[in-house]
Amino acid sequence: MLLTGCVTHTEPAELFQLTAETSKHRAMQTRFFETPNEKELLSASAAVLQDLGFQVEESVREVGFLRATKERSAREYGQYIQRALFLVLSFGKLLSPVDLHQKIATGLITRPLNQAATRQEVCIVFYRIVWKGDGQADRQYIPPGQQHMEMIRDPEIYQQFFAKLSKAVFLEAHTI
Amino acid sequence: MVASLLLYGCSTPQTPQDLLAPTDAQLKIRSIQTRTFDVKDRNAALRGVIASLQDLGFIIERANEPLGLVTAARFAEPNYYDVISVTVTVRQDTKDRLTIRANAIYNNKPIDDPKVYQNFFASLERSLFLTKE
Repeated sequence: MLLTGCVTHTEPAELFQLTAETSKHRAMQTRFFETPNEKELLSASAAVLQDLGFQVEESVREVGFLRATKERSAREYGQYIQRALFLVLSFGKLLSPVDLHQKIATGLITRPLNQAATRQEVCIVFYRIVWKGDGQADRQYIPPGQQHMEMIRDPEIYQQFFAKLSKAVFLEAHTI
Repeated sequence: MVASLLLYGCSTPQTPQDLLAPTDAQLKIRSIQTRTFDVKDRNAALRGVIASLQDLGFIIERANEPLGLVTAARFAEPNYYDVISVTVTVRQDTKDRLTIRANAIYNNKPIDDPKVYQNFFASLERSLFLTKE
């Protein structure tokens, strides 16, 4: 009972609900362009993602959809210092796992905003999955491969992407 | 008694004949998962589905325009051990009406809570309405 009380649990119904933050995230992730050429916008988006080191994994032109990923090391000095600190403070008993590897992924959609399709919207989300290495807590070995995922909510990343995209299509990116 | 138990252990289990027959529960869940919309443009509806899923924080995994199919998933934040996947199909019923069906799965268990689908369709309606401006 006590244990279950500690774990925050989200009901599935809540995950299908728009929250107060949805519109804030949407504003960050979305720009619109005054152009009838959706195909050009999509291929330019793919090119920008390639420039950023992504591999396009899935593309569906008819619905204006792209999914791309890139894998990178997730090692950070800070975590190693923290690990060493914990090791000393726990008298050699706690060797906390550090982030080893990450997969940064993105989903992008374009869609016409009006009937005449002279205005197109581009909406992109970035997220990452991180894999941890192994560790040890007292005599208990912590196996490697523990993973967690997070949505990337840093506005700067999105601004950078849209700046590059707007340069690639010679159009101004309007915020919604 | 023991002999019959042993014998029972040896017999191959019979495949039930009604394995693929629809049950009442299935019919009920299908009606919960399905909505019809007075929308002519199937492509726009499909894009609306994708946009609303992305708004809800889902990651679009696959989309197939000719079949009107979208598959997406997300973690049950804030816990990252449970995954919710959803498959949505958009089918043209008549010239100016189409049916949208969503199937959601929590880890590997189908979700049959009507509230989930009500919420999904509510945000979908919002997204479909947005495109029509």
